[in-house]
Amino acid sequence: MLYLGLAILISFALPLPIGAGEAGYCLIEGAEYYTVELVTTKNIPGTGLATGRADLSVPANSPFSVAISPDGSYEYFVRVSLERMKIPTEGRLVAWVTTRELDRIERLGTLDQNLRASGKVRWNKFLVVITLEADNNPEQSIWAGPIVFRGMSRSGRMHTMVGHGALQQENCAAYGYAN
Amino acid sequence: MMPTPPPPIMRVARYCLTVVTAAVLASPLHAQSEMPGMGMSGGWRMVPMDPNMIMLPGLTGVVPVVGAFLPAAGMNPTSFPEAEPSQVVEMTDGDTLDIEVSIVRRSLNGHEMVMFGYNRQYPGPLIRAPKDATLVVRVRNEIELPTTIHWHGVRLDNEFDGVPGVTQEAIQRGESFVYEVHVPDAGMFWYHPHAREDVQQDLGLFGNLLVTSPNPSYYGPAHREEILVLDDILMDEQGALPWGESAPTHALMGRFGNVMMVNGETNHQLSAKQGEVVRFFLTNVANSRTFNVTFGGAQVKLIASDVGRFEREAWVESVVIAPAERYVVDVRFEEPGTTLIANSIQAINHFQGEFYPHVDTLSIVTVSTETAAPGISDSFDSLRVHDEVAAELEPYRPHLNREPDYELEATLRVQNLPPPIVLAMEADTLFFPPMEWNDAMPVMNWLSTGDQVTWILKDRDTGAENNDIDWNFKVGDLVKIRIFNSPDSFHPMNHPIHIHGQRFLVTSIDGAENQNLVWKDTAIVPVGSSMDLLVEMSNPGEWMLHCHIAEHLSAGMMFSFTVQGQ
Repeated sequence: MLYLGLAILISFALPLPIGAGEAGYCLIEGAEYYTVELVTTKNIPGTGLATGRADLSVPANSPFSVAISPDGSYEYFVRVSLERMKIPTEGRLVAWVTTRELDRIERLGTLDQNLRASGKVRWNKFLVVITLEADNNPEQSIWAGPIVFRGMSRSGRMHTMVGHGALQQENCAAYGYAN
Repeated sequence: MMPTPPPPIMRVARYCLTVVTAAVLASPLHAQSEMPGMGMSGGWRMVPMDPNMIMLPGLTGVVPVVGAFLPAAGMNPTSFPEAEPSQVVEMTDGDTLDIEVSIVRRSLNGHEMVMFGYNRQYPGPLIRAPKDATLVVRVRNEIELPTTIHWHGVRLDNEFDGVPGVTQEAIQRGESFVYEVHVPDAGMFWYHPHAREDVQQDLGLFGNLLVTSPNPSYYGPAHREEILVLDDILMDEQGALPWGESAPTHALMGRFGNVMMVNGETNHQLSAKQGEVVRFFLTNVANSRTFNVTFGGAQVKLIASDVGRFEREAWVESVVIAPAERYVVDVRFEEPGTTLIANSIQAINHFQGEFYPHVDTLSIVTVSTETAAPGISDSFDSLRVHDEVAAELEPYRPHLNREPDYELEATLRVQNLPPPIVLAMEADTLFFPPMEWNDAMPVMNWLSTGDQVTWILKDRDTGAENNDIDWNFKVGDLVKIRIFNSPDSFHPMNHPIHIHGQRFLVTSIDGAENQNLVWKDTAIVPVGSSMDLLVEMSNPGEWMLHCHIAEHLSAGMMFSFTVQGQ
C-alpha cells in the first residue's frame, strides 16, 4: 500500500512527459522569476483590490554576474511598486525588508508619488513589508504604523521536506522541527 | 470555480503511470543498478554526504548506471612517480615546450592517490610568454584515455584549439600532437583537456598560461605576484570517489568536490609583509563549483578578468569566480597575524529548506610585522581608469544596447532516472537559487549520469538544439547573443558559458547595462537570468560554445559555429 500511495503521488505530481520546453510551473521569464508578490493586508481603506510587487535584480555596479556579499548572501537591487490604490491622504507609505525572524529590519525608503521605492537587500530569505507611517523619517529603524502589504522572497518557498511527502517517515525532531 | 477535469487521455496516462510506478517501486531492482544493503558493485562506493543530509527512500544501495573508473585501477600507487609542484617555464616567440601527459602519484588529504599530470607537475607548468609570441608545444599522451589540450581563452589558430572531432583527432596513448599557440592578448589563460574533462581535468590536468604585456605599467604597482588555481575534488575515506567510465556521473549539478585545493595543495600557505600588495591571478579549474573568494579583512582591488583589464579598477569585498573564469586582483595585507583566503558561501540544505553559512579555508596568509618596501600605498589607494581599454571599446559601444541577433535558452531533458529522484525534483520546483554553491543533493546528483541527463542549449528562433545549431559568421562580425537560463525545467542550474577562439563583452544582465566592461571568454548565467553577450568574431574556424561545467558539457551542452575568413 505504501508503494501504491507513493506511486499515486508521483503520478499526479508529474507533468507528462518531462522535457525541455514543456509547460512547467514557472511561466515568468528572466529576472521576474525572482519577483516578490506583495499582498495587501486590507488594513487601510482603498487597498482591498490593490496589488504590489518587488522586482529583484543584480545591482548594475556588480562586476560579476551575481552580486554576493562576503558571507555568501545574494545582494539584490529591490524595486517596489504598488498598483490599483490611491496614495493615502495622511501619512507616508514606507518600504522595508526584514528577515523572517524579524530580528533585522532595514528601511528601503519612502514610496514616491508613483507608489515606487527602491533599495538594496543582502539576505537570502526575507520579507518585503509596506507600512503606513505617520511621517517620512529616514532615521526610523523599525516600522510603527500598520502593515499595508507584505511579501516573501521566492526563496521562502524552499522549506523543509522532512515530515511530509517522500520523507514523511523521517523524525522531524532530529532536524530541528517539532513533530 | 470548479477545476477543469483532465482530458481522458491524461487520466488514462496517469492511471498507467500509477500502475507502472507502483510496480517499479515495489520491485527490488529499479531503474538503476541496485545492490542490496551497503555493498556496492562495479567498483562504486557510496558518495560522501554531509551528516546533516538524509537519503531519499528507495535510493539506498543504488549506484550509477555507468561503470566506475579510477586511473590505473588495481595498480600500486607507488609504482608511479610522485608529482611535483608546478614550475615556471619562461618562453619567448618560437620556443618549444614538451608536455607529457602521464600518470602520477599524489599524496592528498592523507591518501596516496593515482592522478594525472602535465610533466608530472601539479598544476601543469606555468607558462609565461610575451604577448604576440607563438609557442610550440609538443604533447605526448601516456595515459589510458584519449586526450587533447585546449588553450582556454587564447585566440589562436583554429587547428590548435584542441577539440577532438572538430579541430583534431584525440591524442591516443603513445601518440603526440604539436600545438602552435599564438597569444595575441595579455592576461591569464589556462590549458586543459577537451576530452572527458570531468575525469581528466579533475585528476589534475590543468595549467596556466600567463601572457605578459609589453606595457610595463599594464597593471599598477604591486610587491609581488601569486597564482591561485582554485579546485576541489570529491574524496571519501579511501581516496577519490570513482568517476563514470563511459559517461559522467553528477550530470545534474556537476561534480562538487568536498576537499578544497589551491595550486593542487590542500594546505596552501603564503607569507606576506605588513602593507604588502600582492597581485593574485585566480583561475577556477573546478568541474562545477563557483567560488566566492574572500581575503579576510584585507582590501581587494579588482583589476582584470579573462582576456584583459576592466575599464576601471574597482573595490570588491569578494571575488565570485565561476568554473574556467579568471580574475586578477590586488590585495593589501595590513594587519599582522593570520589572514584566511576562503570560499565563503550560503550553502543550501534542501531537506531543511534552509540556507546556512559555510566557509572553506583555501589558503592561510601569515602577515609579519616587517613593513613591505617600497611603500606603494598611494597607488594602491587609488583606482586606475584604463583609458586605453575604454578607447579600444569605443567602436563597440554603438552595439552594446542593440537587440540580440541570436537567443539561446538553457534547459535540460532527463530520461530513466530513478523514480524517487524524479519525485523529489518535481516536488522541489517552487524555488531554484540563482547559483548552486554546494551539492545539496549528493546522492541524487551522483546517480544522474550523462546517459540519463541531456543539458541543452536551444536556438529559440529555429528550435535547434546543441550540435544541430548551425551558426555561420564572417570575420569582423559583431554578434549579439542573449542566453536565457530557463527556470522552467526539471532542474535548472547556473551555467558558465565559454566561447572558444573569440572574445566577448557581457553587455547586460536581465536588462541592467554593464557599467564596467571587460573582455571575457567565459561568463556564468544564473538561473532565471538573461545575459547579453557581444561577441567579436575575429578568428576564423569552427569554434565551440559550451557550458564549462564539465559534466554538463559531457551531457551535451555544446555546439560549434563557423567563422569564415575574409
